[in-house]
Amino acid sequence: MLKTLVCIAIASLLAAATSSAATDKDRAAVIYDGVPTEVTASSEASKDLWITMDDLKRATRFVVKPQGVCRDELCFPLPAKRKAEFISKRGAVTWFNLTAFAALVKQPVVRDEKNGVWYFGKREDERGTYLASLEAPNFTLPDINGKMHSLADYRGKKVLLVTWASW
Amino acid sequence: MPGWQSFYHDLNAKNFEIISIAQDTGGAKDAAPWITAAKPEYTALIDDKHLVTQLYNMVNVPTAVWINEKGMIVRPNEVAYVDNRYKAMHGIDAGPYLDAIRDWVANGDRSPFVMSEQEVKERLKPPSPERAMADVEFALAEYLHKNGKTEDAIAHFKEAQRLDPDNWNYKRQAWALSDAEKNYGTSFMKEVQKLNGKPYYAPRKLPEVKKP
Repeated sequence: MLKTLVCIAIASLLAAATSSAATDKDRAAVIYDGVPTEVTASSEASKDLWITMDDLKRATRFVVKPQGVCRDELCFPLPAKRKAEFISKRGAVTWFNLTAFAALVKQPVVRDEKNGVWYFGKREDERGTYLASLEAPNFTLPDINGKMHSLADYRGKKVLLVTWASW
Repeated sequence: MPGWQSFYHDLNAKNFEIISIAQDTGGAKDAAPWITAAKPEYTALIDDKHLVTQLYNMVNVPTAVWINEKGMIVRPNEVAYVDNRYKAMHGIDAGPYLDAIRDWVANGDRSPFVMSEQEVKERLKPPSPERAMADVEFALAEYLHKNGKTEDAIAHFKEAQRLDPDNWNYKRQAWALSDAEKNYGTSFMKEVQKLNGKPYYAPRKLPEVKKP
């Protein structure tokens, strides 16, 4: 049931993102940490994705503070001389350049222009973090009944992790 | 899967678990029939976003990782067949690998098949920038496919394949989701033939152990 609802939500989000209104604003779908969020994208001619501060918080949980772009304990300072590349006030709205921020934190981004979808991957500091500690990266996935299992639940046992596929 | 079920059942070890993970964009629709048929007593999970492929920097199936009681990797990614069904294609004998697992289950970190930290580190490579970009292209393609935009997904699947050309998971999954000949101009068998003797799986090295 929940899965159906999520699917409907995603489908309507995509539909909204593809049917861009003929105003000075565009709809886009931002996928951040694997979660899709519909946002308003600035339609100013740019290869970058500019979103509002409210959408920044909704889509990424990052907020702009005096010390930088922050989420919980994590903060990325913006280079002092380059602030205009990241933040732009136009009229009553303050816009944030999410793609420039991705470049700053070495986060891969891909875009599907036709569907207005932007997919943000893992920052460099989030990739291959286990290589130093050799602690097996945790994951949480469902079995065929939808019950969730985490690798961490099996601590205390030897685990043979083995992948396969139906294709 | 039936092979792992009988191996696990026969081993009957309290301190050992198999976590089998289907790398299937189609999710339960594609993977569940196989799981239901195998009736596994071990843990069988479904990964419809290829998260484990990304997280562990995998390129193929079946790939296994040995994880000890403390959650540490003691043998990283390697090919892991439970039987010799496809041996004619890849030439890998399942027997010695299953013996190695039995030895590990019995002897733990003292097993000769458990690698030193240094050896594991030498084998594990950080994902390249191209691989990181391929992961995102693949994820975007999957997202579009799941939202009924399969035609639009193809360009992104292709880009993932171009960026990480040795990643068979990203190739075979994409080909399976649409008409591979029509949309990608190829097929799995054609690509295997193109290898022309080059091994399909990275060679697996098990230490020689004398039987008592």
